[in-house]
Amino acid sequence: MKPQSRTVGWAFSLLVATVLAATAPTTAFAQAKEVITFAAVTFSEAGRGDRLKAWIDKFNKSQNAIEVQPVALPFASFAKTIFTQMGGGAGPDLVRFDQIDFYAAVAANRVLQLDEIINDRDYKFTAPDRYMKVGGKRYGTPFEISNYVLLYNPTLVKDRKAPANFDEFLATAKAASGNGVYGFAYRATMAEAPGFWQDLCNFVYGFGGRWSDEQGNLTLNSPKVIEGVIAYKKMYDAGVTPKGTDAATYRRMFWEGKLAMEIDNGGVAGIFNQQAPDLPLAAAPSPFPTRAQGLVLAPFTVNANTKHKTAAFTFYKWVLQPENQKQLQDLLGASNVATVVQRSPEDLAKRPWLKVYDEQTPNSIPQLVQGQELKTPEILQIVLEHVLKVLQGGADPKTTMDDAQKQAQARVARK
Amino acid sequence: MTRAGTWQHGLRIAAILGLLGAAAFPLYWMFVTSMTPSSELFAPSARLFPKPSEIGVYRDAFHGTSVTTWVINSAIVAVGTTLLSIALAIFPAYALSRFRFRGMGLVGFGLFITQMLPEAMLVVPLYAIFGDLALLNTLTGLILANSAFTVPVITWILKGAIDGVPIDIEEAARIDGCSRFDIVIGVVLPLVAPTLAAAAVIAFFHGWNEYIFAQTLISDQGLRTASVGLAGFVGELSTPVHTVMAIGLMYTLPAVIFYLFVQRYVVAGMTAGSVKG
Repeated sequence: MKPQSRTVGWAFSLLVATVLAATAPTTAFAQAKEVITFAAVTFSEAGRGDRLKAWIDKFNKSQNAIEVQPVALPFASFAKTIFTQMGGGAGPDLVRFDQIDFYAAVAANRVLQLDEIINDRDYKFTAPDRYMKVGGKRYGTPFEISNYVLLYNPTLVKDRKAPANFDEFLATAKAASGNGVYGFAYRATMAEAPGFWQDLCNFVYGFGGRWSDEQGNLTLNSPKVIEGVIAYKKMYDAGVTPKGTDAATYRRMFWEGKLAMEIDNGGVAGIFNQQAPDLPLAAAPSPFPTRAQGLVLAPFTVNANTKHKTAAFTFYKWVLQPENQKQLQDLLGASNVATVVQRSPEDLAKRPWLKVYDEQTPNSIPQLVQGQELKTPEILQIVLEHVLKVLQGGADPKTTMDDAQKQAQARVARK
Repeated sequence: MTRAGTWQHGLRIAAILGLLGAAAFPLYWMFVTSMTPSSELFAPSARLFPKPSEIGVYRDAFHGTSVTTWVINSAIVAVGTTLLSIALAIFPAYALSRFRFRGMGLVGFGLFITQMLPEAMLVVPLYAIFGDLALLNTLTGLILANSAFTVPVITWILKGAIDGVPIDIEEAARIDGCSRFDIVIGVVLPLVAPTLAAAAVIAFFHGWNEYIFAQTLISDQGLRTASVGLAGFVGELSTPVHTVMAIGLMYTLPAVIFYLFVQRYVVAGMTAGSVKG
């Protein structure tokens, strides 16, 4: 055989081998069960992800005909991937959305209406369930509801006490900073725009501001919103935050004892508790003039493209059963679920910060522009770009937020 | 050796070691980070050497994740993309180099146009088409999607190299009775072997690193590639830095080894055809 013929022969053999490997049937083909997929960012998280998979496995073991397959997607590209797949006529059968994306999915008819399988009288839903209805019709149930409070490491703050107001907050953060420890951390970069928006909402809501009035008119330059932005800037300039550090990193810094305080949701508190059980962890209401804070509300939906509607509904109803709701609430940390689940006295005694989170519920507000839910992604982009001018460029907060209001009205509200 | 010669030799060695250090440092830093105790990750001064007792992170990565499957899937996609791209690019490259035909300029321009469209723009229609063709959730689909992006580039690279092969050699082969196919396979390809290696590197790394298609077209966890598997660790609320670094290293090493094998051809291949005559 000539050398070149041998080379071509080898290349052809390799091509055949690769094609065979690429087309080899996966285990899914061999399964007799009807496989449905469930996509959620939670599956990617340390600790919570594994526990959530184990919880789903409990359903799988109880079924002869259905198997739920978890699909872990990265947080940063979750919505883009899901919407691309939905737009292409497929996608996971069940999706845990973020609230902003949920409204977009409903508006695009990408999720199934659930009134035919969910009768409100059969369940004792938690208060934020009202946000799951659009135009009087139900398109989901809350998979996870999480409030925001101040988390602090008592060993790193002065007198082991949480600050009671914003001035004390700044002073405590300054006193705690130094020797490799930071006083406070939050997000202030466009690289983490969704998280930046969540943190900004906490400051603005805490100072009494709202992004719109009851009629849905934008109020981006209202005095209370500007107060919240000024407070955000004061914290930025105080030299107490690890600037540029992403949330995953500063949360890890917290459980390593390198961060004294942060305002975060109950899911994070659960992760701290699970990953660092010995960490001195305490919670207090966020130190702002009002108790209002943001709310993480992750709707659980059924993809309108699903070809396994009955199987998806079977799992959906299983999720809402009381014992499964209790287990879900426990594994999610200091979060709540779709239905009211009482925490046990032992649990509250063991993890006293749970009570602080639960008490925050009446003061929690979705991180959406009320009345402009669908346009929230565009509005938040405008707001964050302008707040960055204040933070990094030293622009005047009032003038900048006036500009943001004008731009949002022209581009989004078309006024 | 004179004193000046010794100095020059020493400086050359130092420069080479410096460059080698700069190239290898990112890998070393990934290794050190993966083996730094969690409590020291955010210490004011960085740890410069790995802590051997932290080796367990690699055992956990192997047993607690599907990293082996991901790397195998990535290898299948990368090798498949390489072979398919080269197989599909050879003949158009030869035709563009050797034949003059009506619409030749248009064909060449058409190949360039495919490079102007970003993956993100094509992913939705591609997803719908692949759905109809039952190519979703298959590595074959991923190989096809990746090849669509590498074939035009490789075609142009090979065309440049074939331009540099003297036509006299082909004519001699034709006088000896070779068919056109035999000439391409038996005469031209061996002469442009360095360029083929360079093209293979481009296609391999495209297939190995590709993320958008791999994430969107594949939802079966058992068919995930390493790029998507690695990104899956970046959670909403936390990211396990050690595991990410350990898996990142496992993901990077096979590609580095592949490059070391073919690198000697790459420079020669990339410059082939740049000077004619």
